Amino acid sequence: MLKVEGVSRIFGDKKVVDDLNFAVEDGEFVALLGPSGCGKSTSLKMIAGLEDPNTGTIELDGKDITHLGPGQRKLGMVFQSYALFPHLSVKENILFGLKARKVQKDEQQKRLTSVVDLVGLGEHLEKKPGQLSGGQCQRVALARAIVSEANLCLMDEPLSNLDAKLRNEMRTEIRALQQRLGMSVIYVTHDQVEAMSMADKIVLMNDGRIEQIGLPEDLYNRPATVFAAQFIGSPPMNIIPAGDKLLGVRPEHIRIEDGGMPGRVISCDYHGADTIVLADISSNGDTESLVKLRYPGHALFTAEQNISIHWKPEFEHQFSSSTRTSIDAQPTN
Amino acid sequence: MSTWFQLLSKLSAYLLGIIWVLPLLYAFWAAFHPPEYATQFSLTAPLTLENFVSAWDQAPFYRYMLNTIVITTLILVSQLFVCTLAGYALARENFFGRGFALALVLTQLMVMPEVLIVENYKTLSDLGQIDTYLGVGLPYLASAFGIFLLRQTFKTVPQELEDAARVEGLSGLSLIWKVFVPLAFPTYLAFSLVSISYHWNNFLWPLVVTNTVASRPLTVGMAIFGAPESGVDWSVISAGTLIAIGPLLALFLVFQRQFIQSFMHAGIK
Repeated sequence: MLKVEGVSRIFGDKKVVDDLNFAVEDGEFVALLGPSGCGKSTSLKMIAGLEDPNTGTIELDGKDITHLGPGQRKLGMVFQSYALFPHLSVKENILFGLKARKVQKDEQQKRLTSVVDLVGLGEHLEKKPGQLSGGQCQRVALARAIVSEANLCLMDEPLSNLDAKLRNEMRTEIRALQQRLGMSVIYVTHDQVEAMSMADKIVLMNDGRIEQIGLPEDLYNRPATVFAAQFIGSPPMNIIPAGDKLLGVRPEHIRIEDGGMPGRVISCDYHGADTIVLADISSNGDTESLVKLRYPGHALFTAEQNISIHWKPEFEHQFSSSTRTSIDAQPTN
Repeated sequence: MSTWFQLLSKLSAYLLGIIWVLPLLYAFWAAFHPPEYATQFSLTAPLTLENFVSAWDQAPFYRYMLNTIVITTLILVSQLFVCTLAGYALARENFFGRGFALALVLTQLMVMPEVLIVENYKTLSDLGQIDTYLGVGLPYLASAFGIFLLRQTFKTVPQELEDAARVEGLSGLSLIWKVFVPLAFPTYLAFSLVSISYHWNNFLWPLVVTNTVASRPLTVGMAIFGAPESGVDWSVISAGTLIAIGPLLALFLVFQRQFIQSFMHAGIK
């Protein structure tokens, strides 16, 4: 339903967004993921009409909306700061867009009731945003985006101002809501956990460009670039130089077994369910080559202890050291 | 040390307050007592409203009051309108020469209106607006101070709030009216108070540009009423003064709390 083709945005002489191409299908939850400053928010603003692209086209439901004003695109949007109007009550905030678009009174009321039920704001309708908690503000912002019944809803890091516990709850809730309403969502985040757990499809961006587009498991199992490999997963994938190639292997895929590659423990970081072990696997005389591995339970290794590590070949990824892109044999479709 | 300092600052605050309020207290004293008590204090002095009656009869206060209200309202409404649009443009719109336009506005803040009296008189005379409401109001229909104040306030409105309103379908004037104006409400209140009290009390320009009762505001009317050639009767003058400032005083007393809060909010002192 949404097609973004060749979209770029230049500030001064810096290409903040460089040749963006992706599509959002009906009812799909797409995460725009990337580190801060990678251009994901600018991309979202261009889709919303709040920024004007320098090149490229944006199509919504077959209609070219590239240079349409934000109010004419019929999108819902949730902002990081919630962007609630402090002088209006919760109810007036939710109905803001419907009033601006002069939707009939009884239709407004009907939609308000159903939306308030969905997000659970029943008893707070007459309060001002200043009297609400962060989570409640987030719900109002969500309600305001949903009530327009727009097909596409844009979310710009909507959970980053919430505390960790609430963030987890809202994550599940937003995903459930999206599936129940069959909304298409573009969700901007720098948090890989949010993207992996909520999205149907992830668009991974870095430095204004798309690194990889795929299902969450694609990004995890078949990273297209070294950047993708290291951005997804915690701790990030180990990248080990091997001749003219780079070897990649995730910490959770490395086992400590006899008869493998020799290594020397540097430090252990106990996390409860598992321990992150930092080891040096350089052979004598080489420069240091560090890997992290995830060891189940509480590992009792001492520093300088010699260990032997091993991973199955199917967990090994290969990247070209010049282009830093994957040279794995891709499964043929 | 700090308690001494606090005590001292409290004392000086009271002292300044008393000095400030004394003329007002005197006006009340003189206005409510017979003329023979105008310059002597006595607790047994009889109270009277006679001075108000004679002041009201001697001068067309009703007409002066009407003139002042019309002129102040005309100026205020026009200032709010012009300053809102100009302030918004200077704060939020990117246009060629924005910095220069702002510099011009700020420069205007430094020009004393009195300097322009002769020039303004000539202009208004050319326009045929001498001795009219518009004549009194025209030089003040826009306010550099108001433009600057609203620009500063509009600049503090978060970008995301504006973005949200745009996505929800607002643009142009409706965006200003439904988002920026309500958010800047305390600033509007503070600015209105400053503007009303300034123009209610403005004297020199109205004196120059008005000739008859038709457009003469209270301040000018009072001055003519109390001019030495008509004989100085302090009691009657005090009564007239109270009539003149009465509405303003009442307005301030009723909205005292809101006014002070909005001044703190708008950062005007």
